[in-house]
Amino acid sequence: MMKLMSLEFPLGKEVLTTVRLVTGGVCALVGLGLDEAEDCKVCVTESLLLLLGGGGKNAKVTFERGKKLSVLLEAEYSGEKSGAPVEEEISVALLRAFVEDLEIVREKEHARISFGFGAL
Amino acid sequence: MDERELFGRYKQTHDPALLNEIVEKNLCIAAMIAKKFVGRGVEYDDLYQVASLALVKGVERFDETKGIRFSTFITPTIAGEIKNYFRDHSRLIHLPRRVTELRSRVRAAAEEMFAATGVDPTVSEIAQKVGASEEEVISAMEAGGVVSLDRPTEDSSGTLMDIVPDSDDAFDKIEREDVVQRALKELSKTERALVSYRYGMELSQTETAKRMNVSQMYVSRLERKILEKLRTSLKKNMAE
Repeated sequence: MMKLMSLEFPLGKEVLTTVRLVTGGVCALVGLGLDEAEDCKVCVTESLLLLLGGGGKNAKVTFERGKKLSVLLEAEYSGEKSGAPVEEEISVALLRAFVEDLEIVREKEHARISFGFGAL
Repeated sequence: MDERELFGRYKQTHDPALLNEIVEKNLCIAAMIAKKFVGRGVEYDDLYQVASLALVKGVERFDETKGIRFSTFITPTIAGEIKNYFRDHSRLIHLPRRVTELRSRVRAAAEEMFAATGVDPTVSEIAQKVGASEEEVISAMEAGGVVSLDRPTEDSSGTLMDIVPDSDDAFDKIEREDVVQRALKELSKTERALVSYRYGMELSQTETAKRMNVSQMYVSRLERKILEKLRTSLKKNMAE
């Protein structure tokens, strides 16, 4: 697995567009098609929204290249949940619709979401 | 009335008022999901409409006795419908998945070989590494690049549009039409009628069968025979 890029940023809705743009760039770098890249961007955004809704404050997104484009999103929790349960449920269902190997780990002070994208 | 009860009653009665109630209660899900796909070349209103239709269709397929919530069930359905809509309406150029995958493998192999040796690998070396033919590797390398016709040519003497030949060459067209006309003359009246229905009016075999007052099976058999006849005749005429 080759690390391509990682981003660390204070988690907020205002950074989502920037992260989406970076994700699009990474997808182009590994040769994903337009549709796959768009789907990957949706998944990254949904994951960040999940982390944000769960009270995430500082986030880190890591992209790695292996048989798939692996995406790992991590956040430290502040303990203040802000997302509505239905929004969270929809985000998880949406992620499951796009990726098969979704993994969501929630701990007391930390949360982690990972998935793989495309066949490289 | 809770969700399960509402669905249960609707399944029993098929009362349109209950259907409206279910759809209205869940329209916010359609709106939420549609918003997530904005900015991909399709207007929000269109996405919302596709999502809403998927929601209505999903109501009929939802089984409230299986223990999952409707929102969990409907989200992938709506996302799937929106993705299908994108596939059909937003992209100009589609590469087959096989080509996209080979393109990625070729690119990764080339990068890896360059990193190992410091020299750009040849097509044949890449082909050997990815287990594809040289021709496939070349097509994969060329695939996926979309360029503007307004882009300047390499020598900057004009744009790409000035030098790309017209694919609809008038002489070729006349020649093709002449060859086709000659081939069609060799068909019987019934055979010509079938060609006209199937390839001129683009009717289905069933519709053609109705017009010709024969069975669909007969149309299918006759069509195969005609195509074979035309193929032979066209080959002969083109060679002349």
